[in-house]
Amino acid sequence: MTAKDLPNRPSTDEAEASVSIAPGLYLHIPFCSKICPYCDFSVLTGTEERKAQFTVNLCREIKSWRGEDWARPFDTIYFGGGTPSALAPEGIFEILETLESNLDLEDSPWIQFEANPEDCSKSTTASWRELGIDVLSLGVQSFDDDQLAFLGRRHDGRGARLAVETALDAGFSAVSIDLIFGLPGQTPARWQQDLEAAISLGPQHISCYQLTIHEGTSFGFRAQRGQLSEMPNEDQAELFRITHRRLAEHGYAAYEVSNFASAPRFRSRHNQKYWQHVPYLGFGPSAHSYRGRRRWWNARKLPNWQRLVEAGQRPIEDAETLDSSQFLLEALMLGLRTTRGVDFDALSQEHSQDLWTERLPVIERLVGQGFLTVHGRSIAPTLEGLAIAETLVSNLVSNLDIP
Amino acid sequence: MGDWSGAWTGREAVPDHPFVPSFISVDTPQAPTLGTHEALLDTTRNFCIIAHIDHGKSTLADRLIQQCGGVELREFRDQILDSMDIERERGITIKSNTVTLEYKANDGILYHLNLIDTPGHVDFSHEVRRSLMSCEGALLIVDAAQGVEAQTVANLYLAMEYDLEIVPVINKIDLPAADVDRAREEIDADLGLDPFEAILCSAKTGAGIEDVLEAIVTKLPPPIGDAKEPLSALIFDAQYDAYRGVVLLVRVREGTLRKGQQIRLMHSDKEFEIEELGLLKLKRVPSKQLEAGEVGYVIAGIKTIQDIAIGDTITDVKNPAPAPLPGYQEARPVVFSSIYPLSTDEYEDLGRALDKLALNDAALTYEKDSSVALGFGYRCGFLGLLHLEVVQERLKREYDLALLLSAPSVRYRVLLKTGDWVNIESPSLYPDPANIEKVEEPFIKAAIMIPERYIGAVMELCRERRGENTTFNYLSVGRVELTSEMPLGEVLFDFYDRLKTVTQGYGSFDYEIIDYRETDLAKVDILVNGEQVDALSQLVHRDKARARAMHYCDRLEENIPKQQFKIAIQGAIGGTIIARKTITAFRKDVTAKCYGGDISRKRKLLEKQKEGKKRMKMVGSVEIPQKAFVAVLKTDPGS
Repeated sequence: MTAKDLPNRPSTDEAEASVSIAPGLYLHIPFCSKICPYCDFSVLTGTEERKAQFTVNLCREIKSWRGEDWARPFDTIYFGGGTPSALAPEGIFEILETLESNLDLEDSPWIQFEANPEDCSKSTTASWRELGIDVLSLGVQSFDDDQLAFLGRRHDGRGARLAVETALDAGFSAVSIDLIFGLPGQTPARWQQDLEAAISLGPQHISCYQLTIHEGTSFGFRAQRGQLSEMPNEDQAELFRITHRRLAEHGYAAYEVSNFASAPRFRSRHNQKYWQHVPYLGFGPSAHSYRGRRRWWNARKLPNWQRLVEAGQRPIEDAETLDSSQFLLEALMLGLRTTRGVDFDALSQEHSQDLWTERLPVIERLVGQGFLTVHGRSIAPTLEGLAIAETLVSNLVSNLDIP
Repeated sequence: MGDWSGAWTGREAVPDHPFVPSFISVDTPQAPTLGTHEALLDTTRNFCIIAHIDHGKSTLADRLIQQCGGVELREFRDQILDSMDIERERGITIKSNTVTLEYKANDGILYHLNLIDTPGHVDFSHEVRRSLMSCEGALLIVDAAQGVEAQTVANLYLAMEYDLEIVPVINKIDLPAADVDRAREEIDADLGLDPFEAILCSAKTGAGIEDVLEAIVTKLPPPIGDAKEPLSALIFDAQYDAYRGVVLLVRVREGTLRKGQQIRLMHSDKEFEIEELGLLKLKRVPSKQLEAGEVGYVIAGIKTIQDIAIGDTITDVKNPAPAPLPGYQEARPVVFSSIYPLSTDEYEDLGRALDKLALNDAALTYEKDSSVALGFGYRCGFLGLLHLEVVQERLKREYDLALLLSAPSVRYRVLLKTGDWVNIESPSLYPDPANIEKVEEPFIKAAIMIPERYIGAVMELCRERRGENTTFNYLSVGRVELTSEMPLGEVLFDFYDRLKTVTQGYGSFDYEIIDYRETDLAKVDILVNGEQVDALSQLVHRDKARARAMHYCDRLEENIPKQQFKIAIQGAIGGTIIARKTITAFRKDVTAKCYGGDISRKRKLLEKQKEGKKRMKMVGSVEIPQKAFVAVLKTDPGS
C-alpha cells in the first residue's frame, strides 16, 4: 500500500471537514476508577467528594480566563483524561455552563467526550447526549478478554461491544472507538480479529494506538525488570500495515497516523487543531494551552493544581515560546503524522529561508525511497512514511540550522 | 641543575622544580674544578642503566639520585626520572632524562656521575642508541626474581655495539621470590658476563646502593678526550623549555663548548650562538664551559625541536671538527595513522596540540589529512605502536581531545610499472593496482623470550603472522629465545596482546626492522550502500584481506542503528566484494499519541535526537554513529 491509497488530496467531502482556525477548549478530568498499567497521563482515582471539589476548582480556573480575548469564539470542547465519564453528568453540566457564561463560545461548539465502556449505559449516554455531546470516544482498547485483562481494563469483550452498541443507539453525531495494538505476543491474526470486531460494530471513527511502554508506569517497571518488552520493530510495522489496510478496505480512511474516520466530517475537529498549531486553551491538571507560538501548561499533579487554583491563581506551571526552529520542527513533526502532510509554502511564510529548495535533495531522496509524495511544494507521507513519521522529520531537519 | 622536570611532559617546563628541597643548591656555579682537564676526566663517569621493563631501572635511578643528592625520602617522588604520567603508569621510560650526580667515593674524591637515562622500549631504540653513545659504561639490571629478559639481551647487545663497560646489577634481592643464584646463572649463560662481578642490591630498600655507586666509580672507565681539540659534541637529546626554547643535551667528545661560542650543527648545517650552558643536576646549573668528556646542556636560541636533529654533532664554526661523530641516524617513522577529532570543531585544537607535542618529540611527524567521513585530521608518523599510543594518550590527557585513529599502517615501497619507487603509508594514496609492478613491506626480526612450554603456541602465532625463518634456541634450562622474521604490518595488530595470551603473560618481545620484502598487498575498501568509507580503507596482505574485511563489516553491523532503508555493508578489493553484511530496514517508529500535552515532549525528544546526530557521520544517505568508527578502529582484529 502506498500513499496513493491514502486520501491526501482534498475532496468535496474533505473541504467540509477542513480544520477550523477557531480556538478549541480542552478539559482534563484526571479521575479513573482504576489506573491502567500502561497509562502515563495525569490520572488518579477519586472519591465523589474529591470529584465535586475538583469540579468547583475547574470552574474556578475557567472563570480566571473570563474576558480574555481569543480573537475568535471557541468552536470545540474536548473532555479528556483520565476518564471524563468518571464525573457525574451534573458535574459535566456545571462545567459546560461555566464555559458558556465565561468564555466566548460558538453557538453550538463541537463537543467530544471520552468515556470508559463500563460507564456507558442507556441512561448515561442519554444524559451525555442531552448535554450536547457530539462525539463519544470510547476507551475500548480491545474486544479480547485476555488482552483486556493484560491491559488492566475493567471491562471485558462483551461489555465493550455492549457499550459501543449503546453509544451508537444514543444518537451521537459520531462514536469513536480507541484500540491498542502491539501487545507482547499479539499475532497479526489476533489483532485483525480485534479490528474486525470494531469495524463490524460500525462506529464513525476508530483510533488505533500502538502500545508504548513509558517509564514510571506499571508496564515501565515490568519492562525494567525484563518481564515485558515492546514488540520487535518488524512485527510492529506489520500490525501497523494491517491496521491501515483493513480499515481502508472498510472505508475508514486514515487522516493521522493513529486516527481513522469513515468520512472526513467524522474526523476529530478538536484533535486536528493540535496538529496544525491552531490555538487551544486547556483546563485541569497537566492541561496544555497554545496560542501564537506560546505554549503553557498547568501543574501536573492534582494537589498542586488545586493549591494554585484555590489561591486564586491560574495553575500554570511553566511556559515556552517556540522560536522559529522549534516551530518548524513541530510543524514537520505534526504535519508528517497526518495524511495532509506539510505545505512548505505555508512554512516559508514563517521563515526567511527558502526551505523547500534547501531541503529538496532530502525530500527527493525520501520520495525515491517511497516515504513521501510531493504535490507542488507540499509533501505528504505514504503509508510506509507514516509508519516512520519521526524518522522522516529527523531526516528532514538533520544538518539544518534553521534561523 | 638540569631542568628535566616537566621537560618531556609537553607542558611548559616548570622553572622551579616542586620537589627539589631547598638545601640542594640551585644557584651555586659548577662544582669545584680540579684544575686540569685530566683531573676533570678522572672524576667524571658517564653511564646509563639498561633493563627490561619493570626490572627496576627507574627505582634504581631514583635511589642513586637520592643517595647523592641528599633528597629526603619523604620529599622524594617515586621515579623522579620518569616524569611523564604515562611513563609512571606503565612503568616504562619513553623519553630519556639525564642528571649529574655528585658522589663522594670511598677514596675521598668527589665524582661527577652523569646518569644518562635510556628509554626502555623498543620503539625508541634510536634514542637508546644515542644515549649509549654518550656513555662509557652501563649498569645492566637483572631482576632477581625474573631473571634475564628479552630486552635485557637486546639492550646488552646494543651496549656492546658501543663498547660500553658493563656492570651487571641484580636488583630486587629483597623479594621473597628472588633467586640470586639463578640470576647469576643467566647472566653467565645468556649474557656471557661474569656473574661474580654482579652487584646485589634492592633499589626499593636501599640495600647495596653504596656498592653500585662504588662500582660506577671503580669499574666504569673515565671518559677520554682532549679539551683543546676541535669541538665535537653529540646532541643525544633535547628538551623544550617554554622560556628558553630548545635545550640541547650534549656529550662533549673533543674540545670545549663555551658561552658565546658560534656553533654549527654538522648534519643540519645550521649555526647558532651559545647563550647558556652548564650541568644538568636536578635543575640546570649554568657554567662557563663544558669540556671533552663532560655531559651537560646547551641553550642557543633554537626555537623548535624541528630545527635540530638529535644525534647531530655540534662543532665550532671557526675551528670545525673534520667530520661529524658516527652513528647519526634519522628517526624515521614506521607506523602511520590518521588522527581525527571526534568533534570537527576540535580540528584546530588538535593541530595546536600536535605542534606542542612535536616541540619535544622530534620523532613525531604529522601533516594535514582529510576524510570524507571523518572530516579534517592529521596523518601522523610514529616510531612504533607504543609511540602511537603514547601520543594518543597525551593528546587525550594533556589536551583533552577525543580522537579517532585510522587503522595503523606501515610504509610500503611500491615499484610502479614506470620503474619509479614510491613510498605509500596511506591507503588513500595507494596507486591503481594496474600500475603496480610489485610492492615491498618492512620486515622485522622479532626476538621472543618464552618459557620452553610455550614454543608450540608461539611458533603457531608466528606462522599466523606470516613469520619466516622461525627458529629457537635454549638460553638456559626451560628458557627459549625464539626469533622470527615477520612483516611489521602483522605486528601492528594485537600481536603483543596475543603473545601475552598464548604465553599466559610469560612471553616478552622485541624487534628490529631488518629489510623490505616483496608482498602481495591488497587495498580493502569498506562500502556502505555502495559508498566508500575512506577512513576505513586499509592495506592488507591478500591472504588476510577477507578476514579483515569481515571483521570490519561485523563491527559496523553491530554499531550502525537500523535506518529506514536496508543498509549493505561490504568489504571490497577493487570491484570484487569479499565480505558483506546487511542491516535490515527500520519500518516503524513509536508513533504514540500526540495531542496537546505531548507536543512539547515529543519536540524535545526530536531536538535531543538532532543534537545527537551532530555526532553522526554521513556516508551517502547512511548515518554512521561515531561509536561505529570507534568500534571498528579501536579493536584489533585477531585475524
